[in-house]
Amino acid sequence: MSPRRSRDGGTLSTVLLVAANILIPVAIFVFGKGFFPYKPLLPGLATYGESSVYGEPPKAQFDKLVFMVIDALRSDFVYTENSGFKFTQSLIRDGSALPFTAHATSPTVTMPRLKAITTGSIPSFLDVVLNLDEGDESSSLASQDTWLAQMRKKGTGKLVMYGDDTWLKLFPGMFDRAEGTTSFFVSDFTEVDNNVTRHVPAELKRNDWNTMVLHYLGLDHIGHKGGPRSPHMLSKQHEMDGIVKQIYQAIESQDHLKSTLFVVCGDHGMNDAGNHGASSAGETSPALVFMSPKLKKLNKRLGAPLPEKANFQYYDTVEQSDLAPTLAALMGVPVPKNNLGATIPDFLPFWSDHEVKAEILMRNADQMMQVATAAFGQKMFEWSFKEDGKPETDDQKLAAGYMEFERLYQQVYRGGSPDLYEEMIPKAGNWLHEAQEFLSGMASNYDTPKMVLGLVASITALLIAVIAAYSSVSDKPSAFIPFAIVTLAYGAMMFASSYVEEEQHFWYWATTAWFGYLGFRGLNRRSPHPVAHTITFGAILLAARIIKSWNQTGQKFAGSPDITTLYLHTSPILLWCLVGATYFWIQQHLTYGLSSLPIWLSFAASTGLVLAAFTFKIAFVLEDAPELVTEFVQKLLQLNFSQESAVDLVARARAVFIGIGILMTASLGYMGLRKQISLGQPGIFTFLTLLTLFLATQSRVTNIPLFLLYNLQFRLLLSSVAELSPVEISLSSLLLQYTSFFAQGGSNAVSSVDLSSAYNGVAAYSALSVGVLTFLSNWAGPVWWGVASVILLLSKRQQLGGEVNVFKGHVAVTTVFVAAAGTGVMAACGVLRDHLFIWTVFSPKYLYVVAWAGAVHLGVGVGVGGGLYALGVREGMGRVK
Amino acid sequence: MPLVDPITMASAVSKKGAASQTVTVESSASPAAETYNLLPVSINQAPLAQTLRHAQPLLLSGALTLVFSSLVKDPVATMSSTTLPLTAAVQAAYAVICLPVAGRGANDTAKKTKPRPGEKVSKKKAKEGGNNAYVLAALSLLITALVTPFIYITMILFGAPLLTHGSHTLLCAAHLSLLGLFPLFYVHGVDASAWAAVGGFRAPLDETFGGLVGALVGAWLGAVPIPLDWDRDWQRWPVTILVGIYGGYVLGKVIGGTVAWGKKF
Repeated sequence: MSPRRSRDGGTLSTVLLVAANILIPVAIFVFGKGFFPYKPLLPGLATYGESSVYGEPPKAQFDKLVFMVIDALRSDFVYTENSGFKFTQSLIRDGSALPFTAHATSPTVTMPRLKAITTGSIPSFLDVVLNLDEGDESSSLASQDTWLAQMRKKGTGKLVMYGDDTWLKLFPGMFDRAEGTTSFFVSDFTEVDNNVTRHVPAELKRNDWNTMVLHYLGLDHIGHKGGPRSPHMLSKQHEMDGIVKQIYQAIESQDHLKSTLFVVCGDHGMNDAGNHGASSAGETSPALVFMSPKLKKLNKRLGAPLPEKANFQYYDTVEQSDLAPTLAALMGVPVPKNNLGATIPDFLPFWSDHEVKAEILMRNADQMMQVATAAFGQKMFEWSFKEDGKPETDDQKLAAGYMEFERLYQQVYRGGSPDLYEEMIPKAGNWLHEAQEFLSGMASNYDTPKMVLGLVASITALLIAVIAAYSSVSDKPSAFIPFAIVTLAYGAMMFASSYVEEEQHFWYWATTAWFGYLGFRGLNRRSPHPVAHTITFGAILLAARIIKSWNQTGQKFAGSPDITTLYLHTSPILLWCLVGATYFWIQQHLTYGLSSLPIWLSFAASTGLVLAAFTFKIAFVLEDAPELVTEFVQKLLQLNFSQESAVDLVARARAVFIGIGILMTASLGYMGLRKQISLGQPGIFTFLTLLTLFLATQSRVTNIPLFLLYNLQFRLLLSSVAELSPVEISLSSLLLQYTSFFAQGGSNAVSSVDLSSAYNGVAAYSALSVGVLTFLSNWAGPVWWGVASVILLLSKRQQLGGEVNVFKGHVAVTTVFVAAAGTGVMAACGVLRDHLFIWTVFSPKYLYVVAWAGAVHLGVGVGVGGGLYALGVREGMGRVK
Repeated sequence: MPLVDPITMASAVSKKGAASQTVTVESSASPAAETYNLLPVSINQAPLAQTLRHAQPLLLSGALTLVFSSLVKDPVATMSSTTLPLTAAVQAAYAVICLPVAGRGANDTAKKTKPRPGEKVSKKKAKEGGNNAYVLAALSLLITALVTPFIYITMILFGAPLLTHGSHTLLCAAHLSLLGLFPLFYVHGVDASAWAAVGGFRAPLDETFGGLVGALVGAWLGAVPIPLDWDRDWQRWPVTILVGIYGGYVLGKVIGGTVAWGKKF
């Protein structure tokens, strides 16, 4: 026989392995620092300043502002013939409303959009993450300049806010009166909006505010639930139009409101499936309407409704950030300091003097130039001090344009002819838009040295991990070939945007081939039971086939039918049969898993806990997707604890979590004390059953039956562990982890992150618990397989005679994979940094790789897995068999 | 190191001990190899056979190229009315003219890796096919048709659409079995031990087995372009798979019949 290397490679390989696993997060962090844009933010609030070149600040045209955000209000919802906004359209026709399509940049989710609207700046990509992590302090705008802060500083009245509590998180302490609504359950179409509307009449009577913000979520919920053509959509539009009418008529009729500007806008749009987050035309084209009887002065009587357009661009298109300087001018406050928006010129006729109009544009330009100078420094102007100096770089050209602009302005200001003004206006508009485009693009200024450093660190980690894996896995080198192929192909895949979007195909494709190969190879090896062997791998393949058609995911075929939409949504009875079967199976296994306890105790504990979890799920679905709950299932709610079906969801979830926590602790304690918690199997099986119950609680109800299939695959693999070498177990584990992630509906798009279970048992927001729950609900499959793999490894260890540290080999192999994936995504993001899809495809993928490397690999694979493996070894898995 | 390769040890002990006395280093990778041996298939030496042997890949790929645009437009009609009958005819002619008849050559088994000097050389009898060959070709076609549903099921397991595109996938499966399996049925018949060797991927490479492996790998790799966002019509199911099958078969057959002839995995 060929000579083998030492069984676990000794201390050196351990040191290398630890080094690689420290280097991976460091590499990810350093690269991320360089890759994700950093924008210098100017602190403090803007003032009109004491400049000699300006006269008095331009006079305010309005003294009150009603700012009504209708979440996901796509342009065509307001402007086309099928719209429910009939009153709004009549205002457009008679000139008292001025409509626009406001271009929202990706990511089209609420928090970054609100930042753009209020500050006028383009939020960096990282705001998407902070949008999910809502409690993060750094995403708060408390210290940033916004038109809200300016209105507050103006001091002519209070600020009030009703609607989406994102505003309250963004602006802590900003509002004098406020009530936030949360969107835990998208099935809530009415209550969430009624909670806003009920405050409106009273506030319209008051005269103590100068800014009222309303944010309606119902329309977005309808979109998420039923898409833009949902039967609920039109009636919701009628409802919103009614509120517009109510407010507008109050402005018309009541004296204290007569100088009120009323703005209605969407924060983003939606795509044809009713989702948002990316950059399709539907998602980036919300409506924006300015309304006031005073607008008739502008003499714009535009046509309404308009015929439908495929690109959703109705009337003039402006940038969403243009709202900030426009509002500032109309309300008579300074433009927020970090604004990159350009004043919408349609409103300039409000001021009669050319000098004032010019001044408004000049102040906007001055402010933008300050942003530019903060980023580029004085070198922008250096060329102008030299003789024959010419602007060369883009920033210098910007400065040159600014100087030209300023020269013209000076002439207008000193009383130049109207012609001069006419000459200046288009130039000013052009410069503002150039500056806007250039400075927004500046958000993608990369710190190349950091990116290179991160990449080099990642490559180093990969090399170290390869050496560690080579010396700590006792397999024949040829056994690494399939793993190497998968790893290399995955790294290469990062460069193909379509394969990043459709990553599930890679894993489904590789998984079936791998288990097909194992099946055939078993025949080759003449296993003692060829029929049983064929059935085993046939069943694994069959389960894999069912698992991958459970949820359609990715971009290209996102709407195609899958098991969930085709069978589970149409037949709730089938759904609840499968879900019930899963819970029943868990109950059976849990009873068995606690069988060293007295029978009454093990039975009572498992039944009580499973019932609590099952009824929580029913109560949750009743809120989240009531159409899935049949009458019979609803009756089941009464099985547990209370006759009332309305026991608080938070309390229900906590009861389940506490129960699972106690039993998990007990099972681990028994393992540590080398006692049996289950009479027939090692304690780690009991732990896995409890974990299944927990992850089912954190999964969408339609995904719960998947755990039955995972378990089938796992038991079959466990029975053929002898046929698999350690590296083959690691490869199987990786493939099943990734397959399960995508089969649950995961993808590499930020919009596919499922937050519905992130608040289970959480009463007051806490970043840590919501973050952990979000991770566990979106990565439920990978976490399950991560723990199940530990059992496979323990079983392999036992089969090899208990001398080999198979876990170390497993960590070495998965570290190679994670380092290769990291290297691949860094190289792709680096090379393709000017690619059209860099912010929509590759950057989200980078964040997903961070989650896979940090949470799945280091947290679950190394951390939890290492602990369980050590306990399993201590317990002496196999002793009880 | 008895524990690292437990299956090897088990099978070496339990199976036909007499045959497994000459254990070599390579054979530990496929431990059963020494117990049963399949000889690689040789192509008949007649000029016609040699011509057809080289013409067949050109015929197949030429035909596919010619009908490619109509295949993209209407895969089912093109596959059922053109490529399937044409491929069946080409394969049948190739089998009758080029391949040795089942039981007369390829199917002979030897107890050792290399034939002994005195052992019969079966190629000589290969030309004696005669009428027998036509009957055998017809029978093999029949078996090919019978196994097609199983190939179909395998394709479903590997990710082919289940609820839609039924006839697309079935026709695709028919092509796969016609190209990959039919020549093997012709040379091996239904000899269980020969098929066990093929199924376990321990048969020696030749034109027939190489073609099968190529067609399978080709069908698998054919799925790669489908998710790309090029929005081409030919990315639709099952065009790339079919092209993969043809390409893989031709490549596998040529390599198996020439440079890799007689080699094993």
